[in-house]
Amino acid sequence: MRRETQNVVLALLGGALLKISFTGIYLRYVKPSLFPWLVATGTVMVVLAAIAIMRDILHAQRNAEVSCVDGAHRPPRSPWLLLLPVLAVFLAPPALGSDAVNRAGEQAAAPPKRTSGLFPPLPRGDAIEMSISEVVTRTVWDDSGSLHGRTLKLTGFLVRRDDGRHLLARMAIRCCAADAAPRKVLLAGHDPELESHAPDTWLEVTGTVVPGSTSPGTDTTPTFTVESIRPVPAPDHPYE
Amino acid sequence: MVRVTATTEPRAGTARPRRVDSLLVLCALLLAAIAFQDQLTGALDVPAVRTGATVFVAICVQAMPFLVLGVLISGLIAAFVPASVLRKVLPRNTSAAVGVAGMAGMALPGCECASVPVARRLMQQGVAPAAALAFLLAAPAVNPVVLVSTAVAFPGEPAMVLARFLGSLATAVVVGWLWVRVGKTEWIAERALQRIRRPPGGSRWLVFAETARHDLVEAGGFLVLGGLTAAVLNVVVPPAWVSSLAGQVVLGVLVMAVLAVVLSLCSEADAFVVAALSALPLLPRLVFLVVGPAVDIKLVALQAGAFGRSFAMRFAPLTFVVAVVCGVVAGLLVLGGVR
Repeated sequence: MRRETQNVVLALLGGALLKISFTGIYLRYVKPSLFPWLVATGTVMVVLAAIAIMRDILHAQRNAEVSCVDGAHRPPRSPWLLLLPVLAVFLAPPALGSDAVNRAGEQAAAPPKRTSGLFPPLPRGDAIEMSISEVVTRTVWDDSGSLHGRTLKLTGFLVRRDDGRHLLARMAIRCCAADAAPRKVLLAGHDPELESHAPDTWLEVTGTVVPGSTSPGTDTTPTFTVESIRPVPAPDHPYE
Repeated sequence: MVRVTATTEPRAGTARPRRVDSLLVLCALLLAAIAFQDQLTGALDVPAVRTGATVFVAICVQAMPFLVLGVLISGLIAAFVPASVLRKVLPRNTSAAVGVAGMAGMALPGCECASVPVARRLMQQGVAPAAALAFLLAAPAVNPVVLVSTAVAFPGEPAMVLARFLGSLATAVVVGWLWVRVGKTEWIAERALQRIRRPPGGSRWLVFAETARHDLVEAGGFLVLGGLTAAVLNVVVPPAWVSSLAGQVVLGVLVMAVLAVVLSLCSEADAFVVAALSALPLLPRLVFLVVGPAVDIKLVALQAGAFGRSFAMRFAPLTFVVAVVCGVVAGLLVLGGVR
């Protein structure tokens, strides 16, 4: 690839990173705290490309060629691959959803153990909003029964297993979507209504956890008795 | 009024045969992408492709900032750190230099993508290849950010942090020493060793910008290649593999080592991923943490780009074996068994 083309590709890639940063699309791929790094990275790419293009123009005016750092015996071909992420960002693949949950199989990774005393009592009131991670962690590790008899409101996307069971799930990420792990509850009841929604539909489900439906070593998917279901728009932060 | 040529060698001249111009190809590709956007989006309707595409973009987006950090540091070294300073800082004895370079890895708080361009620049500035390679292996594994995230991921097991530190440092130093014994300079591509000469009167900042740009464009392509491979394998390899290994230590160690290579996780995230695999004993999980930052698919692609294919083909298996052994030994010593 010619030096001039490299610069265009680099500027495109930097622009693509800036675009997904400022439109919030980056949240489908990485955690929110990477935002300043992405902006800086995109800016550096655009600036480096701009400096090189400016130099080329100045030299072209004086009819001299700029030579590359390593002598450039033959132009490298690897920069062509940089077009792939540019194209991928252009298509903006969605956040991980039900396919990733089904791919992860039955065995879900247990959430990290919390030592006792880190499970504060739940606030009073009906239908407490809670993350699926918190539900799973509490049902697996909290033996004080803090969820017992409490009505919870969970938000996640719908997953349909091959055997027809329904799960409500969220993916949890540490750095990026490559290390995502599913957090999920098995939905019990309201099957006809669940059937009517397509997989990956975001739902707000109200109901109660079935006590004792998990155990630390083996099963980390609590059963959740559904009381009501409401479709909701996909959240800005798809991951937990 | 700026006049900089970053090399003493002028371009071959105007007699180059005119082939298909890459700028034209680029424009054609971009136009095609716009014209066929619907069809491309349609391809994403296949769930497996969609998951793979998301993982691919995620790996690229996550790694680019670290690669940029690496090329900026590499550019700074090229422009501002003369070879004589590096020679003064490092011990003259290569074996001792390997040890110092391994410890110096603690100072670069990034993941593996950052260390490849820096290591290559160190080689170009006259640092012994073995020492630069020790730095390459140590930097992503023993820096404070990685150690802290390991401690957070294994709250009940502080020994994991020490075991990881020792296992990774030992991997870096042992590979460095082996390279002193058996390594041949000709395995490393010539371009990786070529010294950059700053022309008298040239601005250091322009050398910095041009070096960083050049490294970024070239290494970036290889990073994309590695990310693509890792994304495909991430989707294809069934995670059920891991859960069936609970009772088998030897097989568990080997499979986790291979998985570390295949998944190409960022060294700041890998601890959280293995911490969750609580069905496995600690030893195979430690091996995963020692192998991952030293050799994985995206790193091998980056190394092939920076140092040449014939280097990467020898270096990757060597590192893999040494990392598995060091991980197991560190685990047995520090954790006191398989656990």
